[in-house]
This record gives sequence, structure tokens and C-alpha cells, in this order.
Amino acid sequence: MLRLIENWIRSSINETMDKALTRIVKDQYIENLSEMIPTSNKVGPINLMEIAMRASQGLPVARPLGSPLHFSPWDKILFNPVHLYRFPTPENVGINTSVTIGHRARKPLTLSIPVMVAAMSFGGALSKRAKIALAKAESIVGTATNSGEAGLLEEEREAAQLFIGQYNRGGWMNTPEKYKRLDAIEIQLGQGAQGSTPQRTAVKNIGEDFRDVFDLKEGEAAQIHSRLPGVNTQDDFIQLVRRLRDETGVPIGLKIAATHHLEKELQIAVEAEVDFVTLDGAEGGTHGGAPTLQDDVGLPTLFAITRAAEFFARKGVMRDINLLATGGLVTPGQMLKAIALGADGVYIGTAAVMALVSDQMVEALPFEPPTSLVVYTGKMTDQLDVDRAAFNLVRYLNACVHEMELVAVTLGKTALTDLSKSDLCTLDPFISKATGIQLGYVSPENQQQFFEETRPLFDNMAEEYKETQNEGMPLH
Amino acid sequence: MDYQDLKHTLSYLHAEVNRMETMAGTLSAIERDHYNKLTNFEQRELVDIAVEEQSAARQLGTMKQMCLAMAQKIEELKNAVDRGQLGENTEHAETH
Repeated sequence: MLRLIENWIRSSINETMDKALTRIVKDQYIENLSEMIPTSNKVGPINLMEIAMRASQGLPVARPLGSPLHFSPWDKILFNPVHLYRFPTPENVGINTSVTIGHRARKPLTLSIPVMVAAMSFGGALSKRAKIALAKAESIVGTATNSGEAGLLEEEREAAQLFIGQYNRGGWMNTPEKYKRLDAIEIQLGQGAQGSTPQRTAVKNIGEDFRDVFDLKEGEAAQIHSRLPGVNTQDDFIQLVRRLRDETGVPIGLKIAATHHLEKELQIAVEAEVDFVTLDGAEGGTHGGAPTLQDDVGLPTLFAITRAAEFFARKGVMRDINLLATGGLVTPGQMLKAIALGADGVYIGTAAVMALVSDQMVEALPFEPPTSLVVYTGKMTDQLDVDRAAFNLVRYLNACVHEMELVAVTLGKTALTDLSKSDLCTLDPFISKATGIQLGYVSPENQQQFFEETRPLFDNMAEEYKETQNEGMPLH
Repeated sequence: MDYQDLKHTLSYLHAEVNRMETMAGTLSAIERDHYNKLTNFEQRELVDIAVEEQSAARQLGTMKQMCLAMAQKIEELKNAVDRGQLGENTEHAETH
């Protein structure tokens, strides 16, 4: 009987495939389903989907988790192991993974690992259960979680041993009774996936718990402004940092979207004597931002870190101002490369959420996306097992940091914070020139010779650049 | 509290913080060793305990670093007391 059914299925599939292939070969493109292949290849499957969404909704498409484009060429950078020149670290020596943020603050923030959960707000992004799970996991591993642009969620504060809160453009954390309960304050002026654009959560997506945390009236939308209320001049910002520092004593930081105007922005941060700067690269995630802001705005994380670290070194404030990097960091290798390039710590968002739901996504799939378990407006948020989700993230973070420790051992280091550019090489001469990482193709002794010999190549490019500048033409 | 008492208290705190640093370092090494032993077993529950041990090892390592930083601060305070600078500094701080 089974054999009969099997034969029948085989012959049906065969007949269907024959008919489909015959139509594909014989029909003109205009009436051929395979027309989708060149169209999709030309436009791209994501763009094709988003064209249809824009056509259907007439509004910016709310794409979750940030840009699918990879702007930071992490894969062109490699770590340099040691054998005899410097010896690897003995395996019985523990690698120091801790990092202190805000050495100058009255109450510095010391983390056990240099990885934190990024700013994802309750309500605007995640559900209460997801926020509590993230906070629980971070407490178990001894690091901090971030409020995102939200008010103070009591349950999250209680679950988080170390809690970084965002003084935000919506104004929901900006009263002394709230910000005085934080372990560090991050003044949020922008983010990688959305720049400094305003955002709004519509009334239909605001529940009672959201209204309570955000102090909203019934029927009132949650509005994030493009500017921080009360900060309209550079001096206003400097005064705000001083006031928060005097009132709280905790590290005060600035979070911005990474931008080509980076050094000009950082100059104000240095003048304000902030304790840390969080740079969110163009790959930064979001709960649901417009694709154009995600794909076409900002500076990639890798270059933002190297430029900021170089700027701080030039200004002599490397020990005074910690650099936190975020935006598209997914693998432990990427996180550690960010640290080697000058970041003191990193934030992870998308990776943390995916780790959280890893073994529970089967509850949602195949009819709902995994995010429906964790986003505030998700259909299945009640089904998230908080403790199971938290321990998934604990396991993930342990694995990531352990992999980082293994790299530190092969580099002959005893602390993750000891890694530097000299532990890296790159396979791309342009990255080498831009970041100061040595070029892996040639020995350290021959770096200068290589670049001198290939100088005509760069000179030609410089000439071309000059010509385009003189003609007032944009640089291609 | 007079200066002599203050100096003795700071010396006591310095010695105890140094002891805590040593204890944290030793416990961290033990926890790390437990992690290595527990991961030899391919049992989910034991691996989860190992992961918690590893987290504890890292947090104890962090406590060691915090103790080091605190010992350094106490040393600075002791030196300031020896130089008789503490009163001046307090006055200076109050003006802000």
C-alpha cells in the first residue's frame, strides 16, 4: 500500500515538474512565472518585498532589527596569534574580562564582561517579559542592561543588578526620581538605524502598562523628538552633563548615531567631560524603522570606533572617556575586534534577542516570526518563558566571552582590555590606511616600503579627488 | 575621629581589602577549575551548572579588580592623611 502511494506521489511530482519546466521553456517572459527571477535579481528580494509593502501601505515600512547590509568589513581583519616571539598565555591563567566605565565618576560602573544588552525600550520595542528576561540574564553574568528610550520599568530595575538608563528625547526618564535610580546615565541623541529622526508610537500600540511607565494620558501617543527637550545649544548639553553628574555621581555618557561629522560631535562630548560615549554604527538595529534610514544613513561601526579612538588619543582623554560600540555586532570575533580597535565595551541587540528566543522560536514558527514572542506588539509575548529565555542568553554570553578568552590566550594576553590594533592585521590596503591596522600581505618591517612603492596608485586617486573637488562634482 | 584613629582605620581597610582581593582571586581560580571539570560531562544540567560557575569565576575576577582599585584609593587617602591634606581637600570639595 505504502509503495503504491509512493509511486503515485512520484508520478504526480514528475508530471507537475514536466509541465512547469515545459511552460518555463516555451512561454514568453511576459506570461512566464520565471520572470520573477531576473526581476528579483535586478531589484533584490528584500527591495521587491519592500516595494510591495510601500505600495500597499503608503507609509515608511517599519522594518525590524536594522539594515540587512553589512557595512563594516570585519571579515577583512584577523587576529595575530603568538608562539615564541611572545608566548601564549598558560591555560591555568584566568583571562580578566572585567571593564570599568567612568573612572572619573564618583560611582564608577564595573562590569564582569565587556558585553552589555543594547538599548531596546519597553513598549517602544520589547515586551515586559522580554525586558525582564534580558535584565535577569545580565545580572547572572554580572553586566549591565539598558532601558532604551523609555520610562523606568520597575520590574526591569529590580531584575537588573546594573542598569544603564537613557535620558531620552521622549523625556520619560528625565526626572530626578527616575534617573537617580540608575547605575549610569546615557544621554540619547540618536541611534544608528534612525539617526536623530523623530519617532512616534501610535495610540493603538500603547497598552495600559506602557502608559504607566511612560506617564502618558489615555489617547496620547508616545513621541520621541529629534532634539532632546531643553538642549538647543552645545552649552545646554554641557550644562546638562554637569548637572546630571553633580546630582547622581554615576557615569554620564552620550549616545549618538555614528556619523562622518564624528570628530565635531565628539569635541563637544570632550568639552562636556562625559564619562563615556556610545557610538551606534549604521548597522544598528531597531524595533521597526524606515529602510532608508537604516540602509542609507550613518557611518559603519568599524570606522566609527577607529576614528573615535584616534580622536580621544589625540585629545589625551583615552583613560577619561570610555568608548562603547554598538551596531551590527553579532559574533564574538566582531565584538573582540571592536575592543581591539579601541572600544572598552560593546552592546548587542539583535544577537541578544535571537539568543533569548533561540529554543522558543519553534512556538512561533512557521506561522509567526520569532520576534512575535518578544516585541511589545507581538501576538505571542505571553508565551515567552522568562527564566528559560534568560538562561539561553546566559549560555550565549558565556560561549561568546569564552571564545574571546581563547583568542586572548593565543594572543598572549591576560585581559581582554589589553588587546590593541597591534593584535590585528588586515587583508585590505585601504582598511590598513584608514584604520592603522597593519597589512597582512607584507611583514611589519616592509609596511612602509609597500605603501611607498604603491604610492602612485594613491597619488592618482588623490589627483582624481582634487579634480572632482575643483569641479565641484561629488566624489564617486 | 582624630588623625591617628583615621590612619589606623585606613590601614585596617587597606589590609582587609587586600585580603579580599586574594580570596576573590583564589575563589575565581577554583570556580574556573570547576567549569573545566563539569564540562567534561555531556549532561545538560551539569553544563548549565558549569556555565554558572564560569560566570561566578568572572565575577570573582571582577571583585579582585574592584578590590585592587579600592586598595589604591585607600592608599591615596592614607598618603593624604600623612601629608595633612585631607582637611584642605574637603574644604575645596565643599565649595563646588
